[in-house]
Amino acid sequence: MRDNASSLNSSNRRDFLRGSGVAAATAVLTQTAQVGMDEASAEALAAQDVAVQSGSMKITLQVNGQSMTSEVEPRSTLLDVLRHRLDVTGPKRVCDRSSCGACTILINGQSVYSCTTLAVAAQGKEIRTLESFDTGPKSVAHAFHQNDGLMCGYCTPGFVTACQALLEKNPNPTLEEVKKGLDGNICRCGTYVGVIQAALDAAKAIKV
Amino acid sequence: MAANSWPEQTKLINTRIPRLDGIAKASGKAKYPSDERPDGMLFGVVLYSLHPHARIKSLDTTVAEKMAGVKAIEVIAGPGKIVRYHGDDIAIVAAETEEQARDAVRAIKVEYEILPHAATELQAMAANAPEVVKGGNVRKGRAQITGKPDDAFAKADGMIEAAYSVPVVTHVCLETHGLTARWDDKNHITAWASTQAVTATANELAESNEIPVSNVTVLTEVMGGGFGSKFGADIWGTSAARLSKKVNGRPVKIFLDRIQEHLAGGNRPSASAKIKLAGTKDGKITAMVAQTHGTGGVARGAQFPLPYVYSIANFSREHSDVFVNGGNARAMRAPGHPEGCIIMESAIDDLAAKLGLDPVEIRKANLAPADFRTKIYLDEIAIGAELIGWKQNFKPRGTQKGIMRRGLGLALHQWGGGGANDKQVSCTISSDSTIELKSATQDIGTGIRTVLAIIAAEVFGLKPTDIKSNIGNSTFPPGQSSGGSTTTPSMSPPCYNACLEARDELFKKIAPSLPGSPSATDLSLADGQLLIKGQPAMSFKDACRKIGMNSISTLGKSSPGLASNGVGGVQFVDVTVDTETGVVKLNKIVAVQDSGLIIDKLTWESQVLGGVIGGLNYGMFEERIVDPTSGRMLNPDMELYQLAGASDIPEIIVHAYEPADQKKRGVIGIGEPPTIGTAAAIGNAVSNAIGVRVTHWPMTPMNVLNALAQEGKA
Repeated sequence: MRDNASSLNSSNRRDFLRGSGVAAATAVLTQTAQVGMDEASAEALAAQDVAVQSGSMKITLQVNGQSMTSEVEPRSTLLDVLRHRLDVTGPKRVCDRSSCGACTILINGQSVYSCTTLAVAAQGKEIRTLESFDTGPKSVAHAFHQNDGLMCGYCTPGFVTACQALLEKNPNPTLEEVKKGLDGNICRCGTYVGVIQAALDAAKAIKV
Repeated sequence: MAANSWPEQTKLINTRIPRLDGIAKASGKAKYPSDERPDGMLFGVVLYSLHPHARIKSLDTTVAEKMAGVKAIEVIAGPGKIVRYHGDDIAIVAAETEEQARDAVRAIKVEYEILPHAATELQAMAANAPEVVKGGNVRKGRAQITGKPDDAFAKADGMIEAAYSVPVVTHVCLETHGLTARWDDKNHITAWASTQAVTATANELAESNEIPVSNVTVLTEVMGGGFGSKFGADIWGTSAARLSKKVNGRPVKIFLDRIQEHLAGGNRPSASAKIKLAGTKDGKITAMVAQTHGTGGVARGAQFPLPYVYSIANFSREHSDVFVNGGNARAMRAPGHPEGCIIMESAIDDLAAKLGLDPVEIRKANLAPADFRTKIYLDEIAIGAELIGWKQNFKPRGTQKGIMRRGLGLALHQWGGGGANDKQVSCTISSDSTIELKSATQDIGTGIRTVLAIIAAEVFGLKPTDIKSNIGNSTFPPGQSSGGSTTTPSMSPPCYNACLEARDELFKKIAPSLPGSPSATDLSLADGQLLIKGQPAMSFKDACRKIGMNSISTLGKSSPGLASNGVGGVQFVDVTVDTETGVVKLNKIVAVQDSGLIIDKLTWESQVLGGVIGGLNYGMFEERIVDPTSGRMLNPDMELYQLAGASDIPEIIVHAYEPADQKKRGVIGIGEPPTIGTAAAIGNAVSNAIGVRVTHWPMTPMNVLNALAQEGKA
């Protein structure tokens, strides 16, 4: 499993917990292997005097280089805000609980499941979705297209994004590293063979 | 004139061409029905039953109605109605935001009278079981008897008696079932639907809303998977339209959540068999006796073909559909065949082991002599055996002693896959050289949009990307629903004819104005050029300018000779099993598949790979787990309902079986066949490796260890 919550473990996680309520925060943090630790710290915070917010609030997100403002609820997931309020519909909602990767986006360069990231937690961070990626002859999208690494295409945004994140971190992945890098995503049509080849081809093309 | 054969020489057909909408899909820019946000759209959320069987005593929506953002509520199961499975629909709330709709769903007060349930087959088949449907939970079909099985058993050299079973699995469409419906005015509906059948969906919306179907437009530009479960508007779609009417036409979006998608979006029925198979020592199967059953939830549909593929002179078979308090079955990729294949291929493999025969040879000995597929099977078996290394690597069952044991297995399958002959495609050539195809079919990921463009580009001497291939609109000329591997054979012939007729009309129209006044028959098209008597005369673009103001438009119909049906196919699997942990590792899968003339080899290969991986999931991971006590599905998600990820995929070799006589058959569909045999072949490979039959699918460590324990070998 990819480390999806690491972007949340930055300096303002405490602010985020204050703003969104502990229950919701716990729900977000339980997606990682750090479950135990996060639950413990959430409980510690619960014992303190933590403000719980409800209703809706206006937030501004930096999405694909643009400032986007939206009315959200503290519980609104980043995925739902992108899709339902900001018309950024590239990332897809499939499992809605961090199992399948169709909602994968990049936050500060890190691949993240946006279906279990709260929108309020993403303020002030650089959010990138696949709509902003290159689609030219040396792109990940091009490699998916040429290898037919997609069929119905509903998982494809997540795979393309996971692939982009992998190659940004590791421009020379081995076959095993590609598989591991994409193991946080599920395809139902069964396009894995094309997807894996696309990742290897994209790595080569981007280097050239 | 309509064509009766495909051209002998082709530039595009039968080559590898990337799909037209590939970049749109890989860049996130393709708009799926669930991505659409027409102005003023409301979000619908479904309240569904947590109980497998209950009577609604009362249902109170007064609190929900007054909640912030709530605009309308549609009650599906009001007081007195019975809900029959975990996930059965009760009510739908439409609100300004999805969060508000969810809150309101929680605020609907439902009092249930809990009724006794039978959520598993064991519960449903027990004496004094609660009735899932009136008339009993077990429906016996008519017994089939051919020949004299009892006599044949008495004379056989050897026989096996066994029981095999495979559980219910669900479609897990990544885009859930649903649509967004809008009343455009008092008499018209537009719907953005995730469907395999824009036409059927339009019909259903028209009928349920009592308006003419010509007043309904269903749009499915792309969609996120169906696998047989999305052939109509469903209660959710018709409710979206009713809710939209209640709110003066504001669009209402209803797409199921992942949990209800598993519970109510369809499933492949289970299959269980008690089977006896007898044969001679040279491997001829002489008799089969089978009692089978399966469940399609609260619906029928658990029948499957048996005997399967092989010719058995004497057999009897009884089948029962068992009703349980579970979501109803829907067609799922090759309905019935994967189940029948598992039962038949397990039995024949076990008989081979009993008689001491090579599994490849026993299969060859039992193909129907008069069936045209027999020669194809024999060729395919030879190719597949070579690709998996059968001769070098096969060891008879039970001869391995180590902890890690390697095994090989195979399975044969078959499918119809023919087309309908009443579909149409229109082709329009405009003076700006635009070529537009239209038909009310839809692309569920198989690539039909691209297939149609390839055919048009072949006829017009253009590139597939030059063609506007417009589908996914119910108001277009009648197109095929995407099911049963029928789309490509239904749509390719009318597309080809539409293009040929449009081309000929173009020639007729412009010939008089060309230099030297050639006759229409002197003209041809190639590489973007118009040729006169074989010599390039001008660009296709310039030729089209001569059309003038009125475009050329034709409506192509089907004609005999362009499509066919009936395919075979064989798959081989190589596994290694850890007999201490029960973990099965797939080393390699070989799929040899015939399907007539292949239009696009790239998307064809994807379909075969996708079929194999679907079968891999069926063989290795998938199972709907139902808790007998609560009657609820325990794994309506995507982690405990397991599906393969990238690291689970072994080397897969796809071999297209297409000698010249295959190409002459014309176009045949490929969606179903390659998913049929994989799970059966995996089971056979595992049994070959460990020396005992794993009788229950999927090949999980638990099922493998249970099999070893039962035989006293663990």
